[in-house]
Amino acid sequence: MQNLFSIISKPELYLDPGSGSMLIQLILGAVLGLGVVVRVFWKNIKDFFTGGRGKAEEAADPTAVTEDPTRILAEVDDTPTDPKL
Amino acid sequence: MSEKVSGSFRDPSGFMFKHNGQLYRQVNQKYREEYDLLMTSGLYNQLTKSKTLVVHTEVDLELAPMPEIAYKVIQPDVVEFISYPYEWCFNQLKDAAILTLAIARRALEFGMSLKDASAYNIQFQQGRPIFIDTLSFEKYEEGMPWVAYRQFCQHFLAPLALMAKKDIRLAQMLRLHIDGIPLDLASKLLPGGTRLNFGLASHIHLHARSQERYADKEVSQAEVKGRISKSAMLGLFDSLLSTVRSLRVKTIQTEWTDYYQDNNYTEASFEAKRQLVKSFIEKVNPKQVWDLGGNTGEFSRAASDLGIPTVCYDIDPGAVQQNYDLVKKNKEKFMLPLCMDLTNPSPDLGWHNAERESMQTRGPVDLVMALALIHHLAISNNVPLVDVANYFADLGEHLIIEFVPKSDSQVKRLLASRVDIFPDYSLNGFKKAFEEQFTLKLQEQVPGSERTIFLFTRKAQF
Repeated sequence: MQNLFSIISKPELYLDPGSGSMLIQLILGAVLGLGVVVRVFWKNIKDFFTGGRGKAEEAADPTAVTEDPTRILAEVDDTPTDPKL
Repeated sequence: MSEKVSGSFRDPSGFMFKHNGQLYRQVNQKYREEYDLLMTSGLYNQLTKSKTLVVHTEVDLELAPMPEIAYKVIQPDVVEFISYPYEWCFNQLKDAAILTLAIARRALEFGMSLKDASAYNIQFQQGRPIFIDTLSFEKYEEGMPWVAYRQFCQHFLAPLALMAKKDIRLAQMLRLHIDGIPLDLASKLLPGGTRLNFGLASHIHLHARSQERYADKEVSQAEVKGRISKSAMLGLFDSLLSTVRSLRVKTIQTEWTDYYQDNNYTEASFEAKRQLVKSFIEKVNPKQVWDLGGNTGEFSRAASDLGIPTVCYDIDPGAVQQNYDLVKKNKEKFMLPLCMDLTNPSPDLGWHNAERESMQTRGPVDLVMALALIHHLAISNNVPLVDVANYFADLGEHLIIEFVPKSDSQVKRLLASRVDIFPDYSLNGFKKAFEEQFTLKLQEQVPGSERTIFLFTRKAQF
């Protein structure tokens, strides 16, 4: 048991990423990464002139915290306390 | 008494267990560093504030079932109903995919990496997808490839592409391949034209070729280390994201989506039926409702609008998708639309037949509704009425059911092309069959129609 769950070592990969899957990533990453660099470069230039931040992109990201706390509270208040009434 | 949850055995970082009916997660010593990083880096706050990661509280370590390797015991917020990717409509799977990628990208911002992109890590809670596996994050090491890339493509991209580019019914392949659709298979099944789509060509076709080519070559982590920069990783996420976003199914006009425009109800009797169903629901006052054959959720909403968590099952992915789109549009919190063929419902699946629960195992519920359904089971599928009653009695304690007589045009249509071998299919035959399992509580004819709605309560079982 102790050997199976060695306490000292870091969690090893429990998912096999697959050799082919890793190698194709290296190739795609090289191409796509270049795209990101170019895009960020252009965005910086655009933002310099417009002063804008990528709000549309941020809004489409579900992990963005867009709601201010008051809106969240209002949402909670909307919930009927006793829906059966 | 603690009991390990089956289906939570793959990850050495920890596992789920039940104690006195409550759900907990043991975090192992092995995962200590990563767990602390998740909590202190700000990633946990970011994701829980945006309601995209399940909230948890740390509880007494004494609860750990394997204390010798335990670091923490946490109690995650309860997810109302566990559903599986093969029960989702296209847009549900697509939203789950978008969330998984958004989380992977956000994690990178906080110096962490998403090590697990399983579709089973997403659940639908209050109408929105949410990530439920707190232990899926690890420290990001610059230069390392994304370990979950293959898994993401198998669990999300391949089924979405097959549904969008080939046939919506291929969603059911996820029921067979519970670790996602093998990419070589997806590549073979997809139309040749998808090779001209940059995203699908690279993440599915080339990816599958690369897997085949390097299948027997060992590539160690050390060899690839330092070969993929952070911006390359971001580029990969963005490319996957735009590929997923570009996949769409045309407005699904399948069997049932226009059912309400073409049925036996006038507008007035439709409204009367809704009121009748609502009054029956209020009499039962259930904690949870399953609406079987609920189409786009028209009558499920009689329950969910009262704040009762309601699962609306339908066989038609088009109807389920319409329902889901409506849930999103109106930000509904108590409705969960799911695809389910009641003549062959989700079975227990996976290792030990216990990783993914059958539909029935996830019940029983307080109230089952079966409106305008009985003729499909009894006539189209030849199930004797007594067997229908037995099945419904297994699923729930109370039952609101509509009887559709042979004189109804919908039933006439079903019988038009076949010999009527259903002498017992009558109002009396129906009542007789159901009263073996249930006690009749209420019976009302729907005004302006020949249909009758019943409220039954299951007889006590000894």
